[in-house]
Order: sequence, then C-alpha cells, then structure tokens
Amino acid sequence: MQRFLDPSVLAGISGLDLVAKTVVDGFVAGLHRSPDFGFSQEFAEYRAYTPGDDLRHVDWNLFARTERCYLKRYRGETNTQLTILLDASNSMNYSSHGVSKMDYARYTAASLFYLALHNQHDPSGLIVFDDEVRDYIRPSTRQGQLHRLLSGLERAEPRARTDFAKPLTHFQEFLRRRGMVVVISDFYESPETIVKTIEPLRFHGSEVVLFHLLDPKEIRPEMRGPSILVDLETDQRLEVIPEYVKGEYRRKIDGHLQEMRERSKAAGLDYYLLVTDRPLDAALSEYLFLRPGGR
Amino acid sequence: MGFLAPWFLAALAAVGLPVYIHLLRRQTTTPRPVSSLMFFERGIQSSTRHRKLRYLLLFSLRALLVVLLALVFANPFVRRSAASANDRLMVIVVDNSFSMRAGTRLEDAKREALEMLATRRPSQRAQVMSLGGALQVLTQAIQDSGALKAAVENIQPGDSHGNFGELGRGMRALTETVHTPVDLHLFSDMQASNMPTNFADMVMPGNVSLVLHSLANRVVPNWTVESVEAPGLLVDPKKARVLAVIAGHQTPAATRTVSLVINGKVSITKKVDVPADGRATLAFEGLDVPYAASRCEVRIDAADGFAADDSSLFAVKRADPERVLFVHQAGDARSQLYFGAALSAAAQASFVLQPIVADQAGDVDPTKYAFVVLSDVTSIPSILENSLLRYVQNGGSVLIAAGMSEGHRQKIPVFGESATDARYYSRTGGSSTVGQVDTSHPAMKDAGGWAEAKIYYATVVDPGRSRVVARLADGVPLVMDKQMGQGHVLLFASGFDNVTNDLPLNPAFVPFVDESARYLAGVERLSGARVVGSFVALRSVTNDAASAGATVQVIGPDGKRPLSLQEEATAQSFQLSHAGFYQIRFANGRNALIAVNPNRRESGLDLIPADVLKLWSGSAGSDTSSTEAAKAAATEEKKNPYSLWWWIMLMILFAAVAESVVASRYLGTQREEA
Repeated sequence: MQRFLDPSVLAGISGLDLVAKTVVDGFVAGLHRSPDFGFSQEFAEYRAYTPGDDLRHVDWNLFARTERCYLKRYRGETNTQLTILLDASNSMNYSSHGVSKMDYARYTAASLFYLALHNQHDPSGLIVFDDEVRDYIRPSTRQGQLHRLLSGLERAEPRARTDFAKPLTHFQEFLRRRGMVVVISDFYESPETIVKTIEPLRFHGSEVVLFHLLDPKEIRPEMRGPSILVDLETDQRLEVIPEYVKGEYRRKIDGHLQEMRERSKAAGLDYYLLVTDRPLDAALSEYLFLRPGGR
Repeated sequence: MGFLAPWFLAALAAVGLPVYIHLLRRQTTTPRPVSSLMFFERGIQSSTRHRKLRYLLLFSLRALLVVLLALVFANPFVRRSAASANDRLMVIVVDNSFSMRAGTRLEDAKREALEMLATRRPSQRAQVMSLGGALQVLTQAIQDSGALKAAVENIQPGDSHGNFGELGRGMRALTETVHTPVDLHLFSDMQASNMPTNFADMVMPGNVSLVLHSLANRVVPNWTVESVEAPGLLVDPKKARVLAVIAGHQTPAATRTVSLVINGKVSITKKVDVPADGRATLAFEGLDVPYAASRCEVRIDAADGFAADDSSLFAVKRADPERVLFVHQAGDARSQLYFGAALSAAAQASFVLQPIVADQAGDVDPTKYAFVVLSDVTSIPSILENSLLRYVQNGGSVLIAAGMSEGHRQKIPVFGESATDARYYSRTGGSSTVGQVDTSHPAMKDAGGWAEAKIYYATVVDPGRSRVVARLADGVPLVMDKQMGQGHVLLFASGFDNVTNDLPLNPAFVPFVDESARYLAGVERLSGARVVGSFVALRSVTNDAASAGATVQVIGPDGKRPLSLQEEATAQSFQLSHAGFYQIRFANGRNALIAVNPNRRESGLDLIPADVLKLWSGSAGSDTSSTEAAKAAATEEKKNPYSLWWWIMLMILFAAVAESVVASRYLGTQREEA
C-alpha cells in the first residue's frame, strides 16, 4: 500500500476523497493496527483507592481476587479541533515534475481531514489564504463536513501572492477554540516574519504545525546556462547564471530552511519540511504524533 | 580567383544553422518560472560576457566549418602565372640532320640557340637536345649556363635523315616524367622531307609550347647524285658498269660534269644534261679497280649551296671468280645445266660452278667455296655432311634443292628438318603456283616472275625455326632460310631441273639464282653501299658458344673504332651513323668495306608549308618564323588555374579540431554542473 502514498501515483486519482481514503487507509494499514480501535476505550493505568474517589471506577474483579481496592483508569475521551491554513498563492503552482506544490498540499490536507473526521471524529476546518483570506470552512463534525472541506480544497486555485500579515487578524477571529492548527505553505517570506505572524495562534493553547512545502528543484535547482527566471507571484524577471545557482543559491536556501527550523522551535511551533517528491505518510505521522491524546 | 563548381556555393546557406543555434535560438529562450526570486540574484556581468565570448568563438568556428565545406566542394582556384614561375623548362632542340650542312644553317641554328639560352632567367632550367635520325639528349634539365652553352656549341653536323616524328615521340616521353610546362625551341631548316608519314606523330603534348625557329626562308636549288648502281664484287673490270642518277631539286636545266673517282683518283669524267627539276642517268662502262676492296665515288660539280651531297660513295671488291660446289646425283645432269647457266648469266655475280657427284664429295673442303649447292641428293657422305655443318656454323652457306629424291629421306641433310610429305601435283593432272613471296628477303628482291612458275612437285618440309621466304598456293613452304651459327642454309623444296617445276625456264630463275648466290656468298654484306642509319649484323643472333668469343672490329670513316672492346665482343649489330667508308671485320672472320651515304631525301631542300608549320606550333595567328615572336612567346605570362582544394581541406581540419576543443570544454563544464 505504500506506493499509494507516492504523490505521483496520487496525481492519477481524480477525486480528493478517494485520494484521502487511499492515503489514510494505506497509512493506517502500514501501522499494523486495526482501523477500528477507539481512543476513548483505551486502558491507561491502575491506581490505589483513596477516600473520595468515585466507587464506579473501582475494579471489583481485582478486589474479589486480591481484596485490594484499585481504581481502573482509562484515557480520557478527547476531541481536538483541526484547522488547516492553506496557502493558495501563485508560488504554490510551481512544479518540476508531475505534482505541483498545490496538488501536494491538497493531498496532504485531504488526507488529514479524512483521518481527523473519519477516524478521529475531530472537528475539522479549512482557511484558504493568499494575501487575504479567500475561503473559510468552520470546523465541524457534522454530516457532510468532509465533503465541504474537500470542495473547499478543490476551489483553492493558486493566485495572487502570499502575505501572512494581512490575513492574521482573521485567523485570530476564526480560531477561538483550542485545537490543532496546520499551516501548509512554501513560506517564501523571511522566517522572522512568518514566525511572528503565526506565533499568536499558539496563545490560545493550540498546537501549531508548519508544513513547509517545497519542490525538490527549489532546494537543488539545475541550470545548464544563463537563464531568465520569472517570479510566479510578481512576474519579475531576473537573469541568473548557473554558477550562482550552484553555489550561492544553495547556501541561501539551506540557511533559510535552517532558520525556519530554529525559529519555529524557539517559538514552540512544530516545523516539518515536506518535499513534493516524497510520500505523504510523513505529514500524517506528524499529525498523529502531535494530536493531543496520542495515537 | 574562380570556382570550378560554383553551384556548390549554394551550400553556404547552411551557415544559417549555426546562426540559428547560437544567435536566434538564444534570443527566443523561454523564461523559466520559479516560485520566488527571493533567493536569486542577477548573474555577474563579466562571467556572462565571458560565456558569451566562448559562445561566439564556438559559433565562429562552426560557421567557418560550414563555409569551408561549401568552398571545398565549389573547388576554388586562382590563376597563377605559369611563366613567372621558374619551373618552366626550356628545351633547345637543334636539328643536325644532313640537310643542315647546307650553307651555314647549322652555325646559324647554334648561334640562335645560344641567343635563346641567353634570354633564359638564371634560375630557369633548360635542356639541350639534337635532332638527327633520333632525338639525342645532350644535357639534363639544368641551370648551369656554361654546360648548356657548351652542349650547344659541341653539336656536330650529322649525316642522318631528320624526322620530326622522333621529336614528337621524344617530347611525349619527356612529359611523362617532367610535369612542368615545357617551352620547346626547335632550330631547324624545316625540311619537308623531315615530316613523318602521319602528322599525328609530330604533334606535341598539351604542356609543351612549341616555338619554331626556321633557318631557311627560301628554297635552295640543289643537284645531287641520287643513286649509284655498281657491282659489289667485281671479276672482270671491263664488264663492270656503273649507273649513276643525277637529280636536281628546284633546279633549272643545266649540264653537269660527273666524275667517277676510284681510290681518290678521278677515273672517268662525263657531262650530263640534267633537265629542270628532273633526273638524268649516266653510265660508266668499265671499272678499273685493283684487286681487293676499292673506295669509289661518283661526284658532280654542282656548285650549289649544298656541296655535301654532291658525291655518292660505293665500295667495290675485285677478286677472281669464286667457286661454287654443286653436289648432285650421278644421273642428274639437268640441274647442273640449268643452275650453271643461270649462274653464269648473272651480270654482277662472278661464280664458277664446280659440279661433283655426291658419292665423290666425301673429302671436299667446303671452306674453299663461296657456297655449296646440294641439288636433290639422295644421300651425301657423312664426312661431307659434318664438314658442311661446321662450314655453315662458321659462316658458310648452303643451298639445298629438295627434289623428288629428297622426298624419300626422313631428314634433309644440313638443314636438319624432316620431310613430312611429298606433293605430286602432276599426278592430279595439274600444277601448283607460288602464292606468297617475301620480297624483303635478299634472295627474292626481284620476284616478279614467280607467280607464273608452275610447280609439279614439292617436298613438304617442316620449316621449324627457319624463315619461310616463299609458299605455294596451298601453303606448302617452297623457299626457306635457316640461320645456323654464322651461316645460312637456303632450302628450295623442289628441284632445279625442269621436271619438278618449270622455274628454270621461267624469267624469274636467273634473278633468283643471281641474288641467292650473292646472298649466300655474302657479297652484299661485304661491299656495296648503305644509307646512314642502317644496321649491319655483326654476328648471328643464335649467340652460340662458337661466335660468342669472337670479336668484331669496326673502323669508322674517321679512322676510329666506334665500339668499345666489350661491345666488339658482344654487339650483334652496329648502326652506320656517319657517311663514309666503314671497315668491318665480322665474327666469322670475313672483312668488308662498306660505303655509307646520307639519305638522299635530305637533298630535297623543300620547306614545310607555312600553314603546316602554324598548325604544328599551334599558333596559327602568329608568325612563327620571327624570333621576336618566339621570344615574346617564351616570356609570355601564361596563367594556369591552381586549385586551392588542398589548402581548404587543411583549414577544415584545423577548424574541426578547434571546434572540438572549444565544444568539449563547454560540454565538460555542463557535465560538472549537472
């Protein structure tokens, strides 16, 4: 099933719901666990009875065998709200192979929504933004929520340019409840600005995850000769020579990634680099790992 | 400059390919989209310019390669001055044939040749030749003026008959090894008789520029002794008769005084009326010469411009009548009768027939006879046959008549070949005739009456290696000549009687016997007159051991021996190249005095028509006889196309190597980047 997590394979599947199901089922099957286990029914620990404890939690079977009074404790049934902030700027349209960054972001978001709604019954919502908030789907577990989210992803065609500062205020309005906030973007901004902009989301107690989405050719570009490069967001043109790409560019992009990683960590944000030629399970693992209550 | 195949220049349009690849294609490069230019910076200008320069160098090399390829197919050439180059070979040919002795022609020719050599550039090569009976190369192609001048000055007047065909052949042979242009300067009297039978023989090759220097502008009247007929062997001086033909070329009618000179003394003087441009025959009765060989001469007081041909030499040998051994059958008297009568009737030959019966000829020494006749003998003593074989090997001659008796023998004595059959034409009620006669044979010079002779019987003899002189109508060899050692055996495949054929009754019989006798006795070889350029056989071509060791001796007209000691021991023939008397001692020990006269065709001083000369020199529009025109032609700047193909191919090689180096450097950088 692992091959179904390959982005190039997923690109051949037409519907996002099918993509999400394929990815999640494949991912869960890869965990060697039954997809039907319930988080709320999971045994946690035994604890000695102390006066005042609820007698309903006493393990009477154990008392009958040992005449000792122990409380049987389960993990608490927790529901966390998943909100995905999807960058739909023009730069997300870049692709050096079959899957663009936007496609990869859709697959990732769809898989997360499927996993959250279908398996976890977590309320899930979507905010699509570029230089402003373009689309907002309130987190919910209602019937048809997954369909609405996937439709929102379908509608999220890249355009305009990224501006984190402007839609920030709107994020604050939408994210009033604690939960998990996933930002999927290529983060073509200074790490300082990005972290400063996103950091306030954490003040509500939410877990904030940054999925830094990049094409492999953006990390290690190839150039055979002097070329004219066009910025997808600004249409700005620049003549670049291969020697620069081979040396200086690589140092700059590596420095940018390193700074993103460090600043995110410093701000308590979870940062993860997604490269579009790698399987999607990395993003799902990250979600499950960070979700309150664990797997 | 021009192009031999200019339509290939259309391929220059292919230059558009590198132009498109390097210039146009770069202009239309599609910009590459990127997510953000955040981390990109504009390329350093100097680096880009350096790269552009390398592109331009590569582009230039590729465009140059295409242009050169188109050019090499178009085959460009430049017209290079051929005359300016010192590689033009000047060939000086001076005619030293006999006619150049007229007046001061040879001196004039040498003077003009020296003047032509003086106009030569010091670095230009030249070659000197003389043209007589053959083209004689006097120097190689050299630049040494002194050697060239000496070669011209040392050209001696010759006695041979000039032939312009030899000049054409010589030049064709020369141009097979010399590929540079040749300026051929011919200094000659342009005698009409020097032209070959076929005009194509004297046509020059393409790279030979012929310049004619004519030394005779008008026809010179000339009287000459055209021919002299005198006996080579003389027995009775009173019966001797010398016939001389006096000819005039372009002469008026005149009376000329003709003298017969014997051994330097005028013996008889006569006057003869020579018609205008005609001939007159004069006879001298009686030739009072002493015994042994005499040097004789018929001379006229021509008083013309060509004194060298006013005399004609001939040699006469006076001796007692020579004996001829006639071996016959005991009962055969007819053969002796007819042969003896014919031999005695011969005008010039003086032979005495000594008949002998075959059975009695055992102890006869053949060497005492001029030649031996075996007339239809059934058998001869073996002693005689052996002595005859030795006799022939040492230079003697035998005449064999193979009549009906010989037909019964398996092998013809002395001749060596077998009689395979006998043809009795009379038994079939008829006769055969002579179908083929080789008139070039000395015994068959006058073969006019042979066709009427009827042959009733012939012995069929395998000719083997012998020369068939006459054949019958059915192909049976009738007369055969076989050389054995230094001597000859002449076989007549019938009899000398009137039974086997009617030849003894035919007019052709006496000349046949006369000429055969002279041929077999060697009179023709030992005296008489020859023409300059003819050859004398010094020894037989059989080259057997007996004759190999014997030396010959030749003393020329100047008293010198023209042959070296080695040549005297090995030479088979000798060319009589000068006029005068040659004394020759042959390998068989016989001595001869031979008079050599120039070819009388040289006496006709008629000139080649001017239009023929123009046609020959290939310059019909110019005056070939003028020296000025000749000099102008010699210095004419003749331009020949010189192909640049080789040089362009060399440039293509260099351009291809440079393009490979530059392109591989560029591609090598790309691989590193990838």
